[in-house]
Amino acid sequence: MIFNLANPLRFQRLIERIEPITLNIAITLLLVGLFFCFFGSPPDYLQGETVRIMYIHVPCAWFSLMIYSIIALCSIFSIVFKHTLADLISRSCAPIGACFTLATLLSGSIWGKPTWGTWWVWDARLTSELVLLVIYLGLILINNAYEDKSKADRYASILAIIGIINLPIIKWSVDWWSTLHQPASISKFSSPSIDPSMLLPLFIMTFSFFFFFISILLVRVRGEIIQRKIEVIRFNRMA
Amino acid sequence: MGKYKVKLDFYKLVKREIRIMLKNFSIIYSFSTFFVIASLIFVFSVNDISYVKIFYKSIVWIVLIFSIMLVSENFLNEDFNDGSLKELQFLGFSEESIMVSKSIAMWVMIMIPMLFLMPLVFVFFQITLYELISLIINLFLATPSLTLISILSSLFSVQLKRNKIIQFVIILPFFVPMIIFTTSTETLFESFNFKENQFLILIGIFFITLPVCLMAGRLIMREINK
Repeated sequence: MIFNLANPLRFQRLIERIEPITLNIAITLLLVGLFFCFFGSPPDYLQGETVRIMYIHVPCAWFSLMIYSIIALCSIFSIVFKHTLADLISRSCAPIGACFTLATLLSGSIWGKPTWGTWWVWDARLTSELVLLVIYLGLILINNAYEDKSKADRYASILAIIGIINLPIIKWSVDWWSTLHQPASISKFSSPSIDPSMLLPLFIMTFSFFFFFISILLVRVRGEIIQRKIEVIRFNRMA
Repeated sequence: MGKYKVKLDFYKLVKREIRIMLKNFSIIYSFSTFFVIASLIFVFSVNDISYVKIFYKSIVWIVLIFSIMLVSENFLNEDFNDGSLKELQFLGFSEESIMVSKSIAMWVMIMIPMLFLMPLVFVFFQITLYELISLIINLFLATPSLTLISILSSLFSVQLKRNKIIQFVIILPFFVPMIIFTTSTETLFESFNFKENQFLILIGIFFITLPVCLMAGRLIMREINK
């Protein structure tokens, strides 16, 4: 099934069917989520209204890591199986991941000013997230630096695999070092330390961001497939 | 016998790299000159010498990283352009041995001038003898990782004809842990406790950097020669 869909042309046809659905789900969930964020959830007893930044900041942070994990998996797949679709997905993911990481840093900074009293601290979590942004920028640069796209994809894959080192550092930085950033409030091994009234909008926003990411990714992958088709046609005409 | 041959070949490879490096004396010269001038710029840019004394480690490391990045390009570009990189692989040398030999040569190239430049650092930054010895130990422990990462970064950009700045952008994030731990090592003689100092972390970083760089270097070299 997966290898059947791994054909770029079949995948393009699938994208054309799925993309409008995912975008509609994303918009609907976003509207519902925003309603819950502003009206359906209470302000925090300590942080007041500023806690609502969490509904943007936390999903963005999760997706910045998740997208890098997707890039890393696609890179391994690309190096092992040399499959074009894996390259296309990782190439398309990099700018989206960079945007999510930037959004994480900006929203965190806006949240940090009223809560910590500063826009930025050289905290282990913040620094490692900034390093992630620079790695994303490096991946985008590599993808655009080489004229031969297959070579660029291969180099980007290697860089992405090296960059995996940063993921556990980001995840566990709050546990390994004493940081100003709070430890994880939602853990798979224990019950969350957030009230259910705040947890619901957080999950709605997370799903909304997920479908938004999928729809943007599909648009970008389709664009990449079309661009490569154009390149092949141009090459054939020149030959 | 086979093992002995492999060892001998690797020894020959390292010898070749060091010979080439010594022949291109201009690389060592430009490295040393850049290091001295960049350090001086830092000293001149700060009016109060007490600040320089506080931040001497950071200054030395920043200048060192940039000087290594500038010279690392020469180590691979010439071999790539004259085809000897391909030839070495064709002769049966593994990608790992090529990379390690280049790193050793580069490490020698850095450490020899650095040992001569250390008295200058001592004078420029007005540090104590203990701080100087601590800095030298620091250099010995951290530069192997630094050279491996630099060689890797130049491998990334060896096929690029323009936009060489990419070399800096893609690899600088991987220097961040190095910078953090090298600059936070305490003066060895202040505590006399090797364990509680961060020197062991530098050795640990090397053992992480070595396999990662060798694996990545192997993949890139294969891609280069396609």
